[in-house]
Amino acid sequence: MASALARPLITVYSEKNEKTGTSLHLPVVFKAPIRPDVVSFVHHQMSKNRRQPYAVNKDAGHQTSAESWGTGRAVARIPRVRGGGTHRSGQGAFGNMCRGGRMFAPTKTWRRWHRRINVNQRRFALVSSIAASGVPALVMSKGHMVHDIPELPLVVSDKVQSFNKTKQAVIFLRRIKAWTDVQKVYRSRRLRAGKGKMRNRRRVQRRGPLIIYGEDQGLKLAFRNIPGVDVCSVKKLSLLKLAPGGHVGRFIIWTESAFRALDAIYGTWSSPSSEKKDYNLPTPKMTNTDLSRLLKAEEIRKVLRTPHKRPVRAVRKQNPLRNVRAMLKLNPYAAVLKRKAILTIQKKHLDKQEFLAKKTGVPLQKTKQQVRYEQLIQKRKEAIQKSKAAKPKTAKKAKKAPAAK
Amino acid sequence: MQNNDDIVWSIINKSFCSFKVNTKTQKFCRHEYNLTGLCGRYSCPLANSQYATIREEKGIIYLYMRTAERTAFPNKSWEKVKLSRNFEKALQQINENLLYWPNYLKQKCKQRMLKITQYLIRMRKLTLRRQKKLVPLQRKIERRENRREEKALIAARIDTAIEKQLVERLKKGVYGDIYNFPQVAFTKALASEEVQEESDDEREEEYNEGGREEEEEMEEETRAALEDATEYVEAESDDEDMESDEEHEFTDEGPEESEVEDIEDMARPSTSKGKKSKVSVEYELEQALPEKTKVKN
Repeated sequence: MASALARPLITVYSEKNEKTGTSLHLPVVFKAPIRPDVVSFVHHQMSKNRRQPYAVNKDAGHQTSAESWGTGRAVARIPRVRGGGTHRSGQGAFGNMCRGGRMFAPTKTWRRWHRRINVNQRRFALVSSIAASGVPALVMSKGHMVHDIPELPLVVSDKVQSFNKTKQAVIFLRRIKAWTDVQKVYRSRRLRAGKGKMRNRRRVQRRGPLIIYGEDQGLKLAFRNIPGVDVCSVKKLSLLKLAPGGHVGRFIIWTESAFRALDAIYGTWSSPSSEKKDYNLPTPKMTNTDLSRLLKAEEIRKVLRTPHKRPVRAVRKQNPLRNVRAMLKLNPYAAVLKRKAILTIQKKHLDKQEFLAKKTGVPLQKTKQQVRYEQLIQKRKEAIQKSKAAKPKTAKKAKKAPAAK
Repeated sequence: MQNNDDIVWSIINKSFCSFKVNTKTQKFCRHEYNLTGLCGRYSCPLANSQYATIREEKGIIYLYMRTAERTAFPNKSWEKVKLSRNFEKALQQINENLLYWPNYLKQKCKQRMLKITQYLIRMRKLTLRRQKKLVPLQRKIERRENRREEKALIAARIDTAIEKQLVERLKKGVYGDIYNFPQVAFTKALASEEVQEESDDEREEEYNEGGREEEEEMEEETRAALEDATEYVEAESDDEDMESDEEHEFTDEGPEESEVEDIEDMARPSTSKGKKSKVSVEYELEQALPEKTKVKN
């Protein structure tokens, strides 16, 4: 995988769609971060700057000398027109709810129509939209018919700049297969929906390719009559042309000189711009944006802790005074105590029985278990004595749990 | 800022994609190289630089592949491989070509190929059966044309044209001596006609009424002549002419048909004088309509 910031070579195409020998390094602008949110915001603000003020007449609705009749006349208290002899007399006036009254909050010309945008933001948006124009997917998603062009970004020889006939321009667009985009513009011509029709905005059409030139030697004249095609100088790039509608990804055709000039105008990260004072391209937040690849990468996986595949769930508290196992968890010695208690009870019981048996003279019937128990005890004693006799020094105490009763 | 797939997807998904079609439950993708037809992270041809599809052209199924290296050259980005007509061999071809590709693409390609072969089979079967061509009607256009037809019919004023024709024929002498009218009434009718022709545009209504009345009278008289055959000459000859179907053809259908044909001819010169009928009317009687099954949206 090529490094994220590698700069491929772009071949320059002649005006007849043949590869000329020249190939240029991709200007670093095309590697700038693409931020559709910034572009959208800046575009939104910029588009407000071309507005013309509108307002209602300041006297509208107030050109009467109406006065409220007050209470007691069985009518609403809205100011009413004075006088008589005409329909108008006695009608409500002044209110926004009245017929012929002024509107609520009459619009004023001193509304803040224009917006200022920080220079850096403007430049950021511009740079983002240039970068986006170099991504074929984004240009296609915007709707431009670019599936037949030889390369994106499309750079054409400077001969195009000296076109002065529209015919030449059309032939050129046909040759580099940009004509389908223009045809799409033709097909999209329609009347606007809504009142704009009667406000001098009657017809609407799509946007076609944008041609960015280094020097105008007639190019503007050649291309201006082709519907949808816009023409722009590198030195005066406008966001409204590069990201029409606030969406990134316009289809741009660069001339060679324009393409070469980009590095100087916007700078590379290592060298600031020479045309713009104190400007350098925005640094991206992530240099490698392939998230799925990153998450599978060894370097990252190594540093992470192992995933918890089995989640630890909350355990219900058991009362140790009522639940034996809970008690044992807390105090294992409790088992011993309990056992001891049980055994002492049993012993006492047994002793009592023996005593009674003695007293009454009735021989006690021993259960199998008791018999076995006695035998076991006997055996142990003998075993202990034996071991003691065998090894007097190391006296091991046989610790055997009593037989189950 | 290369390796764009994620960036592209985040942009396309959140903001605008010209191929996306949103319904209440689902997002579709109208991109012609889309493998599933749905809009999703791994089925979007724009958001995946390594992508494969199956497409069918004129009954032949092709496998299209694109790799990340070729995305910058749009006209060369898709590699086209023709698949075998044998389904199993085609599956093997897919496996071969998409070896080491992500499983999702392989799976979807195979599924798509299956679907395509199935519908091709169905298409071939259908062509063997009766071919009914479905012609969709455009409601707006149909309504417009119907209304225009009606208006044209009215504008053509067929009745008056027929009457004129008949009278002209009478004048010419086409009917020979079949009909015999009293001289006075005849000249009156002719006079009224001349006046009518002169001031057609201006006082149409009055003269139409007058003219029509007189023409109606005339027609009544002609009918009377036919029926009575008393005072006038050669009643028998009337019947003879009625019986013999020679040039005149006095069957029920005959006069109407011949009149209609002539009326069409008449319509053009007469309309050049008076009103222009914008639509040429084809007025066919008692014929079955052409067979079409109409699909109404």
